Amino acid sequence: MSLTAIGAAIAAFTGIGAGIGISLATAKATDAVARQPEADGKIMRLLILGCALAEATAIYGFVVAIMIILFS
Amino acid sequence: MKEMLNELLMADKTLIHVPFGNGFFDIYKSVVVSWIVLAVLITLILVLTSNLKVHNISKRQAAVEASVLWIRKVVGELLGEEAMAYCPYIVTVLIFIAFSNMIGLFGLVPPTMDLNVTLALSLMSIVLVELAGIIKKGPKKWLKSFTEPMAVITFMNVLELFIRPLSLCMRLFGNILGATVIMELIKHVVPIVLPAALSIYFDIFDGCIQAYVFCFLTSLYIKEAVE
Repeated sequence: MSLTAIGAAIAAFTGIGAGIGISLATAKATDAVARQPEADGKIMRLLILGCALAEATAIYGFVVAIMIILFS
Repeated sequence: MKEMLNELLMADKTLIHVPFGNGFFDIYKSVVVSWIVLAVLITLILVLTSNLKVHNISKRQAAVEASVLWIRKVVGELLGEEAMAYCPYIVTVLIFIAFSNMIGLFGLVPPTMDLNVTLALSLMSIVLVELAGIIKKGPKKWLKSFTEPMAVITFMNVLELFIRPLSLCMRLFGNILGATVIMELIKHVVPIVLPAALSIYFDIFDGCIQAYVFCFLTSLYIKEAVE
């Protein structure tokens, strides 16, 4: 069990990448809205798209972690 | 931890055994819960759209018209002018996924936590996307569109046919499963007050965002296919 737990923990490290990606995207989006408040609808849509794509990596890591725990 | 995951993922999902031939035809819990969602939604729709008038509209009809126009505008912006014909499907999927994600509030297991449901939804999406391309361009041009912009990346384009539904399906499934697992853990540690506050984020906000993302990506693909 101990080694599989470590494996699952390593798989959960994918969250780091998603966190950095989403925070960068949000920082740029707030910048863009501050510069052009009238375009906030379009920026919001692009932000949600970017966040969804960046978040997918974290989700894959999570699914892999669960697979490691369940099928080891 | 492992017991809880086993309980969530590996437990027997069958709810109804229907005798069929020599064995049983199993109906899963997720199917029954989606029937409940469908029944609630259909009753809601029938109640809201009954007795519509042209003049002297009631408050209920005004609210329904406003929300329909609003959701049509939101989805129409995503789809663009050319693909507006696919708006009803996208809105249907949006409402269905949003309600199924939020059914955890009533103590039921969300049907989108079953991989089969999300897989079916994403397969429907990718079939619709490719059909939209075929209808718009015709079969020959559709086949030719795989080799654009260069012949070298044909392989990548064909691979995309499988990656898109996989990522749609896994994103929805993983998000809902993750939210449910975290909620179960929190309920295990602090049984009162805190789960109620956090379920606003995990059940309502995350559920709506994921439904929106699913429809957003589907409509983006459709828009790309009909261009």
